[in-house]
Amino acid sequence: MRKLLPLLFILLLPLSTPAHVNSPDVYFDGLAGPYHLLVTVKAPAVVPGIAQIEIRSADKDVDRIEVLPLKMVGAGAKMAPSADVAQRSISDPQSYHGQLWIMARGSWKVQITARGARGSGELDVPLPAISTNTPGMQKSLGVLLSLMGLALVAGIVGIVGAAGREADLTPGQQPEPARKKRGHLREAIAAVIVIVILISGDRWWKAEAATISRLNYHMPHVQTQLLSGNVLHLQLDNPNSQERNRFNFLMPDAIVMDDLVPDHNHIMHLFLVRMPDMKSFWHLHPQPTAGTQFTQTLPPLPAGHYRVYADIVHANGFPETQISEMDLPAISGAALNGDDSGFADSAATDKTAQLADGYRMVWEQDSSPLKAQKAIWFRFRLEDKDGKPVQDMENYMGMAGHAVFMSNDGNIFAHVHPAGSVSMAAVNIAEGMPAAHDMSKMNSTMDAKPLAGEVSFPYGFPKPGDYHIFVQVKRAGRVETGVFSAHVP
Amino acid sequence: MSTSAGGYPAPISASAGARVPWTVWACTSASILIAIGLYWDISWHETIGRDSFWTPAHLLIQAGGLLTALVCAMTIFSATFQPNSVARTTSVNVLGFRGPLGTFIAAWGGLAMVTSAPFDNWWHDAYGLDVKILSPPHILLATGIAGIVWGGLLLTAAEMNRAAGAQRARLQRLCLLLGGFVIVHSMILRLEYTNKVLLHSSLSYVSLGIGLLVILEAPARAAQHRWARTIMAAIYSVFTLLMLWILPLFPASPKLGPVYQPIDHMVPLPWPILLVVPAFVLDLLWPMFEKAPRWQQALFGGVAFMAVLVAVQWPFATILMSPVARNWFFHPANYPYFTPPNAATVRYVFVKVDANAMAFWRGMGIAFAASAASMWLGIVFGNWIKKLQR
Repeated sequence: MRKLLPLLFILLLPLSTPAHVNSPDVYFDGLAGPYHLLVTVKAPAVVPGIAQIEIRSADKDVDRIEVLPLKMVGAGAKMAPSADVAQRSISDPQSYHGQLWIMARGSWKVQITARGARGSGELDVPLPAISTNTPGMQKSLGVLLSLMGLALVAGIVGIVGAAGREADLTPGQQPEPARKKRGHLREAIAAVIVIVILISGDRWWKAEAATISRLNYHMPHVQTQLLSGNVLHLQLDNPNSQERNRFNFLMPDAIVMDDLVPDHNHIMHLFLVRMPDMKSFWHLHPQPTAGTQFTQTLPPLPAGHYRVYADIVHANGFPETQISEMDLPAISGAALNGDDSGFADSAATDKTAQLADGYRMVWEQDSSPLKAQKAIWFRFRLEDKDGKPVQDMENYMGMAGHAVFMSNDGNIFAHVHPAGSVSMAAVNIAEGMPAAHDMSKMNSTMDAKPLAGEVSFPYGFPKPGDYHIFVQVKRAGRVETGVFSAHVP
Repeated sequence: MSTSAGGYPAPISASAGARVPWTVWACTSASILIAIGLYWDISWHETIGRDSFWTPAHLLIQAGGLLTALVCAMTIFSATFQPNSVARTTSVNVLGFRGPLGTFIAAWGGLAMVTSAPFDNWWHDAYGLDVKILSPPHILLATGIAGIVWGGLLLTAAEMNRAAGAQRARLQRLCLLLGGFVIVHSMILRLEYTNKVLLHSSLSYVSLGIGLLVILEAPARAAQHRWARTIMAAIYSVFTLLMLWILPLFPASPKLGPVYQPIDHMVPLPWPILLVVPAFVLDLLWPMFEKAPRWQQALFGGVAFMAVLVAVQWPFATILMSPVARNWFFHPANYPYFTPPNAATVRYVFVKVDANAMAFWRGMGIAFAASAASMWLGIVFGNWIKKLQR
């Protein structure tokens, strides 16, 4: 029987993932039965298209790994296509590579089956699939097609002329001038007709391209407004609701805003980060009021220009991050409560972040330099003032910790957990559980209870640049946030 | 087959004995290979979903295109660069090159097919895998295939028009065979409009009215066989039925999601439209109107064809949708694995495309008018083909 896995995230991130911002690859660490797998997925930029899947088994006794795509919910979740066998790497027998066609935009999951000496196990990974851009035609191909097209146009015009001029002449008979003239006239008419056809064809092509472009995923922009009483009002946006069903039968999942489900205990996770210094960071949980509106009483926070990121999840497991920017005055509001957390003035460090009461958070890095698009483990150790590992870490919203990876210009944002960068609600739905299943009560061989003083996150930076990493853990009833700087050459 | 001193194939000669030119065999083979390939490819997409450039179905289509392009190009080069060849006398001049008209059209068709391949490949990368038949690259491919099939037909007709006796009879049979496959290819393009659930709406008949009689009437006139239309329609029907019965013998399952229908064998294309019945009626009545003015032939032929077609297809559609037809013989369950559970074709429910009775009769009026217009074009085209000599 499959064990329930609270830390299962397989994030299939397209180029502009709906779940994060410009952090397209999916990193997921979980258990397929007895086998510990780290999964990386590169989703297609255009859907329908191909997702590339890399799987590394921590165990050496895996013989075979199969992958197949399923819709998360609905009729398409019931019947599965044939599984693909992932290819084992020659240089690393614990690494496998697979490919899957993702045929419609919407909420999918990848079902991974690992077989080996200890039997078989299954891992279900949420996969939001979107199209983000439409590439143009390469110049060389355009030139080649144009030349062939010219040959075709010349050919058909010549053929029409020949048909009118000579085709019904008896063998050996030469066409007289009147026939030749008639042939030229028909060639001219044919040329005009061909040009009309080409213009119509070009218009058809443009219409198809425009339809496709309309179906590309557009980043939603949440509307924010500061009301009296230091209350932040948020109105969700849905620029993707007007999709037309281009296909007769492959219907993309419609994105609606009245089907939100809680993700690790909250309908919305809101992040505010002051720019450009990123010294003021807040992780809040607004309450829904009516329809697509939310309110959040702000804690005391300094004035500045803030980037806003609002994470939500739909009932079919499709996650979104809605973005905004706003100027906030200094707020002297009510203190943080519940799961809300943050800090008003803390600079990033390379390795060791100072926390309250002399505690420290240390980033355990190895000597190898950071590299873009490479999955690595980001490990953080919590120490007391004497340098000893902390023993009283608690679950924070059902997990050992939460991390935010953010580029210094704010254009890359990823909200990551110890199991990876997927939505936990989506993981629950993929496993056939309610979205709001309480993760802290899960029984798992993986970190249901945090290891003493340590938390780690699998992730890969999408591209070179400078980043901040905000790491949040909970001890002694209080959420601590360490902030680190990272340079990816 | 003899070769000339220069190593090129011997020129085509009308007086070369009772031998069908190899270009005709090449075009005929290509037409059949491409038809099988297209049916197989559509079935593949509806059953398995995932394919590559090198699937057997694609290879058949590509082989047909390449075979024709190469053979016709060789014939053209032979006729062009051998000034004293007999072929010169039976050639037309296209942009300085010489050869029978049909070879130019077939070679053009081959070039169009080859051009459509990288175009289609890019289209998939830019806009995703195609899930409908009619896209710009596919239309270019279809035009290329039409070039090959019609090129072969015109080549054969020109040979036939210069031949006599047994040679003419042989070429006449090949004309009818090619004509039958012209219908096969044309009906593939109409598949989306002649689905069984649409056969009680005017849309299907409008689709069948537009152009079908051109491709039925023109080769029939050219062949001048008593039962030409019936034979051509029968070739289309037999080919379609053979594919309908043979494809499901092969087990297969979807390799792409979402899978909405349980599929465990190759999904065939639908039962053929009953063209053979109105075609037979036209052949039967042909002696009555062959001497009439052209416009009367067009009006009578077009209206009679469509009337008989509706009269037989409409009740047959009812049979196809009923439980009585749910067996291997009729195989009405020819919907793809990605057909949603609530689709009309899965529930065996007719789709009423016409909003009301007026819309229906307006549509049917268009169908009859298109049918008559197509008949007129078929007559004109057929008369021209009868005069073809090169």
